[in-house]
Amino acid sequence: MFDRSIVERRLELDPGWRRRRRLAAFERFSQLEPPSEREELWRYVELDFSLGDFELPEGPGRPIETDAVAAALAPVASIRVVDGFGADARAEVEGLVVGALAAHDGTTPSPERAVERAGIEPDDHFAAAHEAFTVDGAFIHAARGTRVPGPVYVDVQLTGSGIAAFPAVVLHAEPSTELPVVVHLRSPDGEYGFAAPHVVVLAEDGAVVSLTILQEWGSEVRAVGRVRFAADRDAVVRFTEVGLGGRYARVRLDGDLVGPGAEADVVGAYFGENHQVLDYRYHMRHAAPHTRSDMFLKGAVEDEASSVFTGLIRIEEEGQKTEAFQTNRNLILSKGASAQSVPNLEILANDVKCGHGSTVGPLDEEQRYYLMSRGLSAAQADRLQIRGFFEEAIARMPHHALAPIVRERLNRKFVEAQEEGRL
Amino acid sequence: MTAALVVDDLHARLGDLEILRGVDLEVPFGEIHALMGPNGSGKSTLCHVLTGKEEYAASGSARVADVELLGKSVDERARAGLFHAFQYPVEVPGVTLDDLLGELALLADDPEDFWRRVDEMSERLRMEPFRARAINVGLSGGEKKRSEMFQLAVLSPRAAVLDEIDSGLDIDAVREVAEIVESLRSPELGMLLITHYNRILRYLRPDRIHVMVGGRIVASGGPELAERLEAEGYESFQ
Repeated sequence: MFDRSIVERRLELDPGWRRRRRLAAFERFSQLEPPSEREELWRYVELDFSLGDFELPEGPGRPIETDAVAAALAPVASIRVVDGFGADARAEVEGLVVGALAAHDGTTPSPERAVERAGIEPDDHFAAAHEAFTVDGAFIHAARGTRVPGPVYVDVQLTGSGIAAFPAVVLHAEPSTELPVVVHLRSPDGEYGFAAPHVVVLAEDGAVVSLTILQEWGSEVRAVGRVRFAADRDAVVRFTEVGLGGRYARVRLDGDLVGPGAEADVVGAYFGENHQVLDYRYHMRHAAPHTRSDMFLKGAVEDEASSVFTGLIRIEEEGQKTEAFQTNRNLILSKGASAQSVPNLEILANDVKCGHGSTVGPLDEEQRYYLMSRGLSAAQADRLQIRGFFEEAIARMPHHALAPIVRERLNRKFVEAQEEGRL
Repeated sequence: MTAALVVDDLHARLGDLEILRGVDLEVPFGEIHALMGPNGSGKSTLCHVLTGKEEYAASGSARVADVELLGKSVDERARAGLFHAFQYPVEVPGVTLDDLLGELALLADDPEDFWRRVDEMSERLRMEPFRARAINVGLSGGEKKRSEMFQLAVLSPRAAVLDEIDSGLDIDAVREVAEIVESLRSPELGMLLITHYNRILRYLRPDRIHVMVGGRIVASGGPELAERLEAEGYESFQ
């Protein structure tokens, strides 16, 4: 299935900028083995699937109905990417282009520049598979000076069992733009599917890009996601991921602060239940002076779920006067659940401010005792504590309209576990 | 008439260590009693044993308005009418006082009445600015104690133990907290004020004073007992 004949069919439809990438990626794909736990970037996880379990769909399945998220966001533009095929693009803001990647016809701005600058390299089995077999995705472009007044909603779906989808989302924010984007990943529960979404962001001088990924894959999806951004001079990238679904759901983030004064605020909130594995590999590279980054992730796991956070801040020699922080806090709610939290720093510059904090532990006994002394039951006290735990992450998320949904969906997982007697 | 709080031959151990060694105490409704004693005498332990902190093994009896506390969970004791103002109120990040009040309103017999009391007391105790803030996070010592007294006031307990609500406060804050305690005096409530120092007694009038040494009440009496403590210290009671 994942062979040259597919690649050749794809090449026929590719715009010029993609052909070279696709060919190179397929070359790499043929050489690369599936990852193993022995590799640093894949430590702590054991994959229970392989690409061979899945097929590449011929076309999109029947789309899933819109849900409360789209309504709450009141997006100014939207696009759907179903089983890797882009459709139903809508944009009514001057200076904003939203369209299917494959449909690019040369009259609109090209994704080429963003992909050249921030595209994901075929550096592992799944990334190479994505770049070799991807069909389509969403391209969002804000022309110089455009302030997009509300979020662009990208509804990425996987509709059936046994499907492998490689949806791509490319964001290009030209200088002095504001571009808020929400990517919603979803699929029906119980359907065994694979997705390798790649999200690429180019934020040019002074651009402000807010990107939230709301990950609600169905319970049997295996997802290997990549996010990469490049932030130029004084650009700000606010990246949030909320991890709710999937059986195995991975996000590898590569943040590149390449222009002086560039900033990144990275926020995460995740909740693993049953046998979920939520796997975060977050890398932030400071390659210019006066850059600033802050990573703040909070997660909880219950039942037999596990989570991984490995964070790496790398400050290059050019990264003088930079500030970089990473915080990862984890709650272990059941005996069988586990969380790995491994923050790392690599500092080659000598005038920087850096810090990291990492905790893994149960709910706080003192908080529970205090709240119970006011008359709350242990269950009520714990619900309040969980809510407060995630609230610190939610408060940092850029899309305020999403906050009630994120809050409700995170807390609902805890309440369900309580009601089902697991906690 | 039963008393607000009756403690009968209460023993408590922490592991092998016996901390309370037969405490007897009675606080009638409408009264404020002070419990004084040197460090390590078991005053704070008494509060936590009454509240039901898990690490203590307790025996004997402790009753709030005739309801036995021992054997009950922490929240059942609170719902039976016990309130414990903490010496070190716990920070609950990300949870506002209003979030907590919202949960407590669900437990109230008359939620409307509960919110009325919340509004009245938050105005009286100047708690308005703190309601949308995380519980005890970033509050000064005095503000934390005021928040504890505010929660006491809205929960309408039958018995309250106030654990060193004067500790760590400057003299103005001590006076303010003392005035709040005095203002909450009611025929429906008995209060036990635990303190290490005399100074809070300058601002409120306890009906009785108990002295605790070595896990027992060794003396009980009127306000004159505080004067004797002032003059002689705890040594004469040991």
